Amino acid sequence: MARFLLTRLGLAAITLFLLSVIVFFGSQVLPGNVARRKLGPFADQSAVDQLNHQLGTDKPLYEQYWNWVSGLFHGDLGTSLSYNLPVNQLIGPALVHSLKLAAFAFVMVVPLAILGGVAAALKRDKLTDRVITIGGLSLTVVPEFVTGIILILVFGLWLDLFPVSANAPDGSNILTQLKYLFLPALTLVIVLFGYIARITRAGTIESLDADYTRTAMLKGLPRRTVIRRHVLRNSLLPTIAVIATQTGYLIGGLVVIETLFNYPGMGRLIFTAAQKKDFPLLETGVLIVGIVFLVATLLADLAYSLLNPRIRYATAE
Amino acid sequence: MDDTQRRVDAIRKDRSELENHIIDEYAAGKITRREFVRRGTVVGMSIPLVSFLAAACGGGGGGETTGGGTTPTATGQVTAGGNVRVALIQPTTEPNPLLVQDEGGAGLLGSTGEFLSFSNEKLELEPRIAESWEPNDDGTVWTFKIRQGVQFHSGGTLVANDVKETFDKLINPDGGSANAQSALGGVLSPGGIEAPDDSTVVFNLDAANGNFPTLVSSANYNAIIIPADLDPADWGKTFEGTGPFKLESFTPKVGAKFVRNDAYWGTKANPDSMELKFYDEEGPMILALQGDEVDFVEHFSVSGGKALLNDPNVNVIAVKAATHRELHMRTDKEPFTDKRVRQAIALSIDRQALVDGLWEGQADIGNDSPFAPLYPSTDTSVPQREQNVDQAKQLLADAGMTSFTVELNTWNGFEIPDLAQLVKQYAAAIGVTINLKITDAGTYYGDGVFGKSTWLDSVMGITDYGHRPVPNVYLTAPLSGDPKVGVWNSAHFKNDQYDSLVKQYVAALDIDSQKGVAKQIEELLLDETPIVFPYFYYFLSAAKKNLLNTTSAATGQFDLSKAGFTS
Repeated sequence: MARFLLTRLGLAAITLFLLSVIVFFGSQVLPGNVARRKLGPFADQSAVDQLNHQLGTDKPLYEQYWNWVSGLFHGDLGTSLSYNLPVNQLIGPALVHSLKLAAFAFVMVVPLAILGGVAAALKRDKLTDRVITIGGLSLTVVPEFVTGIILILVFGLWLDLFPVSANAPDGSNILTQLKYLFLPALTLVIVLFGYIARITRAGTIESLDADYTRTAMLKGLPRRTVIRRHVLRNSLLPTIAVIATQTGYLIGGLVVIETLFNYPGMGRLIFTAAQKKDFPLLETGVLIVGIVFLVATLLADLAYSLLNPRIRYATAE
Repeated sequence: MDDTQRRVDAIRKDRSELENHIIDEYAAGKITRREFVRRGTVVGMSIPLVSFLAAACGGGGGGETTGGGTTPTATGQVTAGGNVRVALIQPTTEPNPLLVQDEGGAGLLGSTGEFLSFSNEKLELEPRIAESWEPNDDGTVWTFKIRQGVQFHSGGTLVANDVKETFDKLINPDGGSANAQSALGGVLSPGGIEAPDDSTVVFNLDAANGNFPTLVSSANYNAIIIPADLDPADWGKTFEGTGPFKLESFTPKVGAKFVRNDAYWGTKANPDSMELKFYDEEGPMILALQGDEVDFVEHFSVSGGKALLNDPNVNVIAVKAATHRELHMRTDKEPFTDKRVRQAIALSIDRQALVDGLWEGQADIGNDSPFAPLYPSTDTSVPQREQNVDQAKQLLADAGMTSFTVELNTWNGFEIPDLAQLVKQYAAAIGVTINLKITDAGTYYGDGVFGKSTWLDSVMGITDYGHRPVPNVYLTAPLSGDPKVGVWNSAHFKNDQYDSLVKQYVAALDIDSQKGVAKQIEELLLDETPIVFPYFYYFLSAAKKNLLNTTSAATGQFDLSKAGFTS
């Protein structure tokens, strides 16, 4: 197990290094001069050059990259060019917001989608299966801003049950915060349900058709026990992988939902940083999302190996 | 001679030549009462004085044709106190008076800061930090009397040197404010400001300027007066100012809260507090107003906020403005080197259809010059350019350009992509194929300098311009042939006669002279057509029905110090 963990951590470190290189050099492709954008078209070229020098954006790229990475190792995430604030002061609250929304959405969608997927598999080709698979898929393909706006109109404005913005006032208790987060989380549930349920259904059907399931049935084990012990354990493997890969999207990719519900999360922060060529904020923001994504996939690998010992044995060999 | 006339004569003895000229124009019936009030306040007469003179001198015949809101704010009796929640578009820069270049940032600056004067929705100047102002005889020197006893929120007393230092920082070519310099460049140079005593600031201008007080008012939204020893980069830590509200908290990307400043020099704010919430898009702002999560939306567009226009729970405040789009055609590059081709494009456009379709009528039609109908100096006798497809085709034929293809660049904000699409359709009707290239704002504007900006380098493009209470900036930055002045000259227009006329216009101190030059500029631009000005749209704000006494100006400034709730 230790070797399995070490291997995964090593791979994660290599991935992070590659990510940092891609993020840093990819950001440089964005058009525009940093100081010119900050000072505006009327500023003298000497003032622009001076600010670029002050910000270090006139140095060779490899030197800028080294300064950035070495800063990260010393806990210095840099200073945002557009807000003139330490990056950690901007990323910290945004990350907490995104994690809250992602966690709430996960808590709602994961059990629901797994139950839906299993139910569809058990009632394969019946009405329940059709409703869950076709209904889920139909909801998934509706763009999230459409789903979000419908939920806002129905539950926020017409029925007046939930706030139309997701950010609860400062000092709100957990219940109030959940009330504010409900509509964006429900939007995510609708977006993700069909996909996760479909993967779960496929895994369950495969497990139901497997020899070990037939053997268990023939042994005379009760159907419920067979499903719990043999089917679910195996059918959830692909589902876990899918859920883990959605983490990056939930933390850093919710630009539309965060904008629609005026929620100050990582998606909006990174998007505006890219628009404004705010390198320190953009690069660190993407890197943080990458780290969260890697942690999630690492946890998924661990869960995977616990459910399926063949994986850790294969790595250990 | 009756007592009133004696008082008028006594007043006139102490007024400048320019002020007396405006009084003469009014008395002779050359300008309306509203225009007299507007011009009078701009040159430094107080509102009570102007009102007295307006009554005493009579005159002022003619229709009320300029300025003014189309739907004034709702006023009435309100309860004391309360927290007014405002939806504001997300500021794009740190809160730094030198760096702010957008409406959200301007809203933040004006929340705690005050200006020499406030340019209201009628284009009048209301005295604030300056009690009064007056020019010398030729308008090259303007002297401002600074209000005494004004306290900064931190407790210091504001003196004339704070005003001098504020403007010195704004116009500093080495790191000043790009936006402030768009108005003051070529008008006021470093070293031109003096503060001979604590209550006087003297601006020595580069050339005569009849609209100078407007250029240093709230219309120049960077020009909040800050303490002389405050580094503007540190302003965001305290939001130091003298206004009726002071900072309680500020969270970047989220919002800010302000509370009543009990040490305010004027009438104390009615609300206990004012809360700003930042939004990236106007859709969520509008939903927030309808969902009762905010009380006031600082600005919305017709295309994004149609739901508010007929909402019985909302008061929509429409202020006539000069906010517009410019469709530039590069005069130095094919296919637009021949002015007949540029004229043909302009003639292909149905402006009324644009105003109706894109703005639901909440806009004035443009006549291919920066002289919007709301400006008093605009000569409205110049014939309006109408759609004429046959004439456009004939012009193309005469120019030997019966069909060609050109790329139109712009960015994906507001109604601009729709406008681009419509221009493409209109051009197709005269045989011109336009390929649209619509990017994000950052890509379109680039570095904002020639050679590094699609906006300034493209052969054809659509650019958005915010409101200005006087047309000076529109006449210079996007159209001047002088490279130091024409820094936004995307049409690469160079015309010595035009530059000379603009100089005359800027120097003109009275409305008659301005109008005379304006007519020549309007005719010259109609003939040359470097830029199509299809419309000038109104500035729309919205308030909940129970929120009264809000003030909006088309510059994006708002004043909620008198606002309150009916219940």
